[in-house]
Amino acid sequence: MQYTTKTISSQAPALQLKSVSKKFNDITAIDNLTLEIKKGEIIGLLGPNGAGKSTLIKTILGLVKPDSGSIKVLEFSVPQDTVLVKQHVGYVPEHSSAYEFLTGIEFLDFAGDIFQMEQEEKKKRINEFLKALNLEGREGDMISSYSGGMKKKILIISALMHKPELLLLDEPLNTLDPKSARIIKNLIQQLSQQNVTTIIATHILEIAEAVCSRIAIMYEGKLLALGTMDELRQQAKMPNSGLEDIFLKLTGTEDVQLLVEELTK
Amino acid sequence: MNWKTVYLIVNANRKAYRTIPSAKLRRYYENKLTVYGEYILFCVIGILIGYLVGNFYSASNATLQTTILDGATYVFVSIPTIALLYGVIFTLINKAQQIGIKISAQPIYWFPISWQEHTLASIITSLIGAPLAITLLISSAILTASVFVGLIPLALLTVLALAVSLLLSSVTTEALKILQTRLLGAVTKVAGRGAIYLRLAIMISTMLAFYIIYFVIYSLVYNHGSPIFLFETIANGQKMLWFIPYVWPGMILSTFTNNLGIGTVSFFLATLVLIAGIFFIATYTNTRFGLYELPTIRLSGRTYTPKISLLEKMGFSSIEAALMKKDYKTIIRRPELGVLFVFPIMILVSGFIPFLSGAQSDQSMLLDTIMFFAMITLFPSMWVAGFLGSMLTGLEGSSVWYLFSSPISAKVIVKSKFFFTVFCSLVALLLCGVIGSVIFRPTLLYVAVVLFEAIFLIVTISTVSVAIGIKGADFRGNFPYNRAIKRKESWLHVLMCIATGLGVVAPIVPYVLGLLGSNGMALFPAILIPGYYAYFGLFMSGIIATITTYIFYKIALDNAEQMLAKPETI
Repeated sequence: MQYTTKTISSQAPALQLKSVSKKFNDITAIDNLTLEIKKGEIIGLLGPNGAGKSTLIKTILGLVKPDSGSIKVLEFSVPQDTVLVKQHVGYVPEHSSAYEFLTGIEFLDFAGDIFQMEQEEKKKRINEFLKALNLEGREGDMISSYSGGMKKKILIISALMHKPELLLLDEPLNTLDPKSARIIKNLIQQLSQQNVTTIIATHILEIAEAVCSRIAIMYEGKLLALGTMDELRQQAKMPNSGLEDIFLKLTGTEDVQLLVEELTK
Repeated sequence: MNWKTVYLIVNANRKAYRTIPSAKLRRYYENKLTVYGEYILFCVIGILIGYLVGNFYSASNATLQTTILDGATYVFVSIPTIALLYGVIFTLINKAQQIGIKISAQPIYWFPISWQEHTLASIITSLIGAPLAITLLISSAILTASVFVGLIPLALLTVLALAVSLLLSSVTTEALKILQTRLLGAVTKVAGRGAIYLRLAIMISTMLAFYIIYFVIYSLVYNHGSPIFLFETIANGQKMLWFIPYVWPGMILSTFTNNLGIGTVSFFLATLVLIAGIFFIATYTNTRFGLYELPTIRLSGRTYTPKISLLEKMGFSSIEAALMKKDYKTIIRRPELGVLFVFPIMILVSGFIPFLSGAQSDQSMLLDTIMFFAMITLFPSMWVAGFLGSMLTGLEGSSVWYLFSSPISAKVIVKSKFFFTVFCSLVALLLCGVIGSVIFRPTLLYVAVVLFEAIFLIVTISTVSVAIGIKGADFRGNFPYNRAIKRKESWLHVLMCIATGLGVVAPIVPYVLGLLGSNGMALFPAILIPGYYAYFGLFMSGIIATITTYIFYKIALDNAEQMLAKPETI
């Protein structure tokens, strides 16, 4: 199978969501969410556990079918053109692992073939990433023998190696060592200058503050706030505060001290 | 020892093994009928068998009653040894499947549970499923029959000995588990890349060893024409080998039937001491070595050089080739899939049974040629087609997210699964066909008929299996092992394979019957089939296979599209 090629307008937004909703039985995972992201932006997706961040990322990729609303990724409609969308997207899931009975290099070779990379390009990219993320020498081992961080690195390489235009990263830096985390952060910023868009769901607020051009805060499926740090400060009416305070205020969980006191009674 | 903890671990393990009725796991309530249903069914079947045997005994004359009574005594006395055999097979397979599991990743090892509790729970868990079901069937059958035959005390003692025997088998394999793990670890360390193939070979050899025992038993019965001979041989054999501890449960019954009360009590107590001793060893080895993790299998330390695969040269896209290469690695690297290779070898071995039974008439040799050649040529390839086709999708396991999130269409998935299944089945057909031809030397026309029918069957069954395998794929993780297909679809798969398989071969049946009849086989009518019918039959089979394949290929595509469209429901 060869991919259908379609010219993507450079002016078009990387992502457009209009009134997207998704319910799982009585739980609202995404509640009438509208969002537009330009090319090259790095969006930090924040929210407490169960806020709908992972569901939103999966919905963008076509892994979860929305109940209502429309989604366009790089001018392709989701879920109608999901194969085309996936061709241009690099995705790192929060928990899932790669095929445990393959070696690291076999999985990356497999991923390169799935994305129809040229043999030489595939080899070059894989070797570069393995070296950068300190996996050289372990690529011939079964993935089942890898540590959590090594597995995550393999997933990150498989998401980045085919040079996607949109990166959907769900907690990508969890379990990574500081050097690898720094490399990935810098890489995302570099890629942004090459018009690669990134949506990064994270609980590490420092990463969001340092790397992201805009920050989206989700709570119970709703988009509570979206903007640069300054815009969020204005919205929260907390002019000199850090992201953590803003986040806690917007998500209504600022009574942390009260809860701690309750727990330590 | 906290018995409640043991119960909780056993229950958690049982739940890990269960099949699920649907993918929607939220608010899942366990239906007790599905948990205990199969055990109740086996009990009911056992009672029915016992009732039929008992009624037959009651309706027999005095001479026949004496013969039945003698036979029943042999059966009862040999049952514990037979139970030991199947107990060892099932528990060994069960424990072998757990060898590759990373112990430190399992929550029950983080919890405050003693090794005694772990060991006992593992021993009991291994008996859940097939061993328990078979035991319930045997127990209910002998208890019911004993009421009619008048052997109630012996039957009650047999059930007790049966339970003791099963426990002995499980405690033994538990003690050997860590040895298996260590052995595999040592092999892995030394063999490097070869470890994959060595592990596969060990798995296949172990399973084959048990099948060879089965064939020896089968040929014993086959040659003497009476299963009672088998029980008699076991009963007498265990008397001679009384000093081997593993026949002690049988000796409990042997001594009881010979009115040796002290012997009965002694062997019973000795068996309990033996079980306790092995349990102590198992607990000790688990405590000492239980947290051993298998060493890493290093497959390549060489420079990575990607290359165009043979599949791509054959015209498959890089995505299809990548999926097929991955599936190939799946079947050779996952120990639990050793059964895929074992069954075809087993069928081949069974092809030699006619030669074990000594000199035969020309007529029976001809019957063997016709029947056994077809059997060893058709069955292995059909097994591979059915097994792989239905399992390949579910074997993706939790890593299926990669298929969902990659640019892979339904067509690519179906095409790669279908062709991979067909290729593997054709390899099995080729190997078994050549061996069958060498052994039986059938006519060229008969070889051609069987080979063409085999190809039609492979293509048909592969498509049916892939279609149902996608629909019923069970992607739940790898612990304790991946079931790959849900229960309902698994039954549907078996029924559909039988139905479509019979449909494909139906047009050629008159040719085979004619062949048997014209050679004077008493069982078959001497119908005159014209010579050209073989070609007509093959043509019709081909048409039926093509239509069936087309229909199921479309169904497979629909199923794959539905699967890709709703990954959140998986």
